[in-house]
Amino acid sequence: MGFVLFVSLVLVGCNDEKTIEVNEMNETDASEVKGIIENYKDIYGGRAIFVDDQLLVAVQSKPWLDYRKTKLEKKLKNELEERFPNYDVTVSADFKLYFEAEKLLDEEDEEKVAKKVEKLKKLKEEET
Amino acid sequence: MDQQKYQEIEQQITPPTPYLKNVAKAFLVGGIICTIGHAITYFYIIFFDFTETTVGNPTAATVILIAMLLTGLGLYRKIGQFGGAGSAVPVSGFSNAVVSAAIEHRTEGYVLGVGGNMFKLAGSVILFGVASAFVVSLMKLILVTMGVIEW
Repeated sequence: MGFVLFVSLVLVGCNDEKTIEVNEMNETDASEVKGIIENYKDIYGGRAIFVDDQLLVAVQSKPWLDYRKTKLEKKLKNELEERFPNYDVTVSADFKLYFEAEKLLDEEDEEKVAKKVEKLKKLKEEET
Repeated sequence: MDQQKYQEIEQQITPPTPYLKNVAKAFLVGGIICTIGHAITYFYIIFFDFTETTVGNPTAATVILIAMLLTGLGLYRKIGQFGGAGSAVPVSGFSNAVVSAAIEHRTEGYVLGVGGNMFKLAGSVILFGVASAFVVSLMKLILVTMGVIEW
């Protein structure tokens, strides 16, 4: 019984599906962000929020790559900044931002989203 | 009976230490404690404004509080008997060391008893923790100055 549970948990943990979600502002931008994140093998989930001139990208990398997170963030940020020079890009591999981004995907009120993104950016800067 | 002979007899009589069993128990107990800690981590991330970088402090505080209560109720001793190092290495073991020393010496008064003995065992943890943190950060500073890694 325990063994079956263990095996099924391991198998569930190993599925290689990638989920990348973007809140739709315009199609080309959305698909472009999706394409960029798709290129990263180590990322298994990504959520991108476009609001005003802000672009918030929250990703989740495989757990054993935790120590490389900052490097991954930097690389992704540089690439996104090149493609979207008009946007203020924020990239984070933190679970908090990934979790909060899910709520923002379906939020209709743009003002609320902008406020929340601003708050998340501040949270990201905190060290202790 | 000379000393050598005594030792031979002693070796024969002493039951062998079940190393593998002890390691497995420690792994299990330590793993369960850390899983609970991780659950607390996600609780703070989801319901409060903590990120993965900042969540460490409240999580450690909560685990310490839980272990403190368990020590006071006499339950942590049982966990320690079963799990050995698995219950001593996580931060809950540190909390247990502080609180159990305080309880043990409370009859000797608050200043010389509780105050003087509280950090009997935990004091060395703090001392070597601070000392090794100093060495590690010094090494990191040197590596950053040389340009090998970044902060």
